[in-house]
Amino acid sequence: MRKIVLPGEKISDEKRFIPYTFLEGNSVYAAVLGMLDEEGRYVPLESVYRPAAEDVVVGIITDSRHSGYDIDLNMPYPGFLSSRETRADFNVGDFVMGVVRVVDEVGNVDLSDVRRLPKGEIISFPSAKIPRLIGKKSSMINMIKEKTGSDVVVGKNGYVWISENDIPLVLRVINTIMQKAHMSGLTDEISKFLDEHKIDKNSVRIGNSIEFTIQK
Amino acid sequence: MFEGEHMAGTTDKQLIIDGKRTDGRTIDEIRPLRIEVGVISSADGSALVEWGGNKVLCGVYGPRECIPKHEASPYGALIKCRYSMSPFASLSEHGRSGPNRRSLEISKVIREVFENLIIAENFPKTQINIFIDVLQADGGTRVASITAASAALASAGIPMRDVVSAIATGKVDGQMVVDLGKDEDNFGQSDMPIALSHRKKDILLLQMDGLLTKEEILKALDMAEKSCEKVHEVQVAAVRKIYESAALSEQKISL
Amino acid sequence: MADTFKEMIMHGIRRDVLLNLLKKGLRFDNRKFDELRPAELKKGVLDTAEGSALARLGRSQVLAAVKFDISVPYPDKPNEGTIVTGAEFLPTASPTFEPGPPDENAIELARVIDRGIRSAEIVDTKSLFIEEGKALSCYIDLYILDHGGNLIDTAGLAAMGALMDTKVPKVENGKIVRNEHIRSLNPKSKVIASSFAKTGDYWLVDPSLEEEVAADTSITITTTETHVCSMQKRHGSLTKSDLMDCIDLAFKKGDELRRLL
Repeated sequence: MRKIVLPGEKISDEKRFIPYTFLEGNSVYAAVLGMLDEEGRYVPLESVYRPAAEDVVVGIITDSRHSGYDIDLNMPYPGFLSSRETRADFNVGDFVMGVVRVVDEVGNVDLSDVRRLPKGEIISFPSAKIPRLIGKKSSMINMIKEKTGSDVVVGKNGYVWISENDIPLVLRVINTIMQKAHMSGLTDEISKFLDEHKIDKNSVRIGNSIEFTIQK
Repeated sequence: MFEGEHMAGTTDKQLIIDGKRTDGRTIDEIRPLRIEVGVISSADGSALVEWGGNKVLCGVYGPRECIPKHEASPYGALIKCRYSMSPFASLSEHGRSGPNRRSLEISKVIREVFENLIIAENFPKTQINIFIDVLQADGGTRVASITAASAALASAGIPMRDVVSAIATGKVDGQMVVDLGKDEDNFGQSDMPIALSHRKKDILLLQMDGLLTKEEILKALDMAEKSCEKVHEVQVAAVRKIYESAALSEQKISL
Repeated sequence: MADTFKEMIMHGIRRDVLLNLLKKGLRFDNRKFDELRPAELKKGVLDTAEGSALARLGRSQVLAAVKFDISVPYPDKPNEGTIVTGAEFLPTASPTFEPGPPDENAIELARVIDRGIRSAEIVDTKSLFIEEGKALSCYIDLYILDHGGNLIDTAGLAAMGALMDTKVPKVENGKIVRNEHIRSLNPKSKVIASSFAKTGDYWLVDPSLEEEVAADTSITITTTETHVCSMQKRHGSLTKSDLMDCIDLAFKKGDELRRLL
C-alpha cells in the first residue's frame, strides 16, 4: 500500500542511513515529503538536490575569468570549472555538461570533464522526480530520445538539456512525466503518446490546439 | 485584538448563547477549512488556505542564493518570512500597501516557527523565502498563514524535522474557545494564537493578550492540541490530493 | 538577483533557439502564432471587495479587486469620483520578483490597464460624486500571483472581470455602508488588452514567459468592441504595417477573450 509521508513522520526504529531522512534518538524520520512504496521503502516525492562527487550535471556558463568559469547549476551555489581542469574555451551562455569533481562543506561544486552542449533548450526538472525521467536502466530517457529523434541530457542537478530537433514535443513529454512521476504505467503511457505523435520533421505541425477552458 | 489594530473592544453583545457562538459553533469547533497545495506554478512550493472567511496564499522559494551576500550564514540557510495584508483584505477601508508594524511583527514570529523545523544546516549560505499574502482577512490570519506555510514548505521538498499546525484560541464570554472569528477576535476577552509541531506537540508560536489564569491557559493548550490535530488532517489531505489524482494536476488557484 | 542575471544570459540563447523553431512554424508550447493560451476567468471571488475576479492565461494568474473609499475629488474635476489603479508583483509570483515597492514593470502594467479603463470611460466617475469635497474613489488593485508571461493581458482580463462584478456601495451621511449596495457598476463596454511579441520577423500572440525573454519587440494594444483605447510599445521597434496587423489581431483576440466576461 502506498502511503504519503510528511516531514517528521517516523520511518524506522532501526538506526540506519536512508537519504532525505534524519535521526532522532534511535529512530529514523522522514525529512521531506515522500511516500512508502509497495515494499515499504521510503521514496522522496519532493526534494532539493544535494550535489555528490561523480554526479553528472548540466549547466550554463555564467562568467568567464582567468581562473576558470562560473556555471549555473540550478543550485544556490554556482558551480566552478577551474582553468586547470579544461583546455576548452567556453563563452558566457554556453550550455555544458560535466561531472562533479568535489563538493566543499558549504556546497560549492567543482566540475571536471566538462564539454559544451549544442544549441538547444534547458529546463528545470524537480530533483526527486529525475529517476523517473531517466527510468530503470535509462529506459525512459532512451525511449524518448529514440522516438523523438532528439538528444536529451538529464543532469542530476535538475537541469535537462534538449537538442533543437523537436523541442515542443520533448517539452510536452517531459511535462507529462513531471506531473505523473508518482504514478505507475507511465512508461507505457509515454510510449503510446510518442507513437501517436510521430511527425515528419520537415513539415509544419498542425498540432493539438489548446482550447479555452471557459469558467462555468 | 491581534488581527485589527483595534483596542480591546467591549460589547454588550453576548458572543456565546447557550453554548453556541455567533456563527453557531461550539467552543471547540473550528470554522470550515480548505487547503490547496501547489497553486503557484512559479514557486518552489505553494499553498492556499481558506479558513472561515480568511484567504491566505503562501509561496516558498529556496534554498537559493542569499542576497545580500553579507547576510549569508556559514552554518545554515537563512529563513526569511514576509507576511503582508492586501489592501482589499478587510471589509472596511482600502488599506495602504506595504509593510506596517503589525505585519513586520507577524513576519518575525512566523519566521521563528519555521526556524525550529527547517533543517537549515543542510544549506549554508543560502536563503529560504516564505511569502505570505492575506487576500482576505477574517480573524486568525497568522495561524492560517502558518498552516499554509507548513504545507507549502513540505511541497517544496525543503527538509524539516516536523510539520506544524496552528490555531487561534482565546477567551470569549468567560469561556475558552478555539478558532476565534473576527468578532470574537475584536470583542473577546483574550486572544492566544498557538502553533504546535505535529509529532511532539512543541509550542512553536505563542502570543497572548488580555487576562488569563494559569488554568485557563492550560485549558486553551489542551483544546489547541485537539484542534491542531484536525488542522493537520486537512494539511495531509491537501498534500495527498496532488499525488493521488490520476488527472494531470494544473497548478492554479481556485477561490 | 541571481535569477534576473540568468534571465539576461538566457535572452540571447533563447532567441536563437526560438527563431529556429519559429522558422519551422513551431512555438515552445505547440501553439499557433496567433493562438491564445488556455484562459479562465472567475468573478466574485472575494467577499471583502466590492468587485473581484481571478484570471488565468496559461501559467499566469492575476487577482483583481475593486474597493471604494471616500476621498476628495481632484481639483480639475471637482464633481467627479476618481479611479486609482495599482499593481503589486507579489514575490510569490516569480523568482525574479523582490519584495518592496512596485518597480517600473509593475507601475507600467498598472498605468497601461488604467489608461484603457479611463479612455473607454467604462467607469462613470460623475456618478461617483457625493457632495462638495466628497466623492467615491474606485481603487483597482491588480495582484500578480503567478508569472508565466504576458501579465498585462492577464491583469487586464482580471480587472475587467472585477469591474463587471462590482457593486457600488451605499453612502449614508457621508460614510460608506459596507455590504449594502445601491447598484452594479455596469461598465458600458468590455476592455481587453492584447499583447504581442516579435522575434526576428515573427509576431506572436500572448507570449509565454520564455517567448517574452527572447523577444525583440513587444507591444500591448487595448481595445473595446469598436475602438483602440490604449497602446503601449515597450522595447524594440516596429513598422507601420506591423502596427496595422497588430491592431487587427488585437480586435480579433479581444473578441475571443471578451466571451469569458
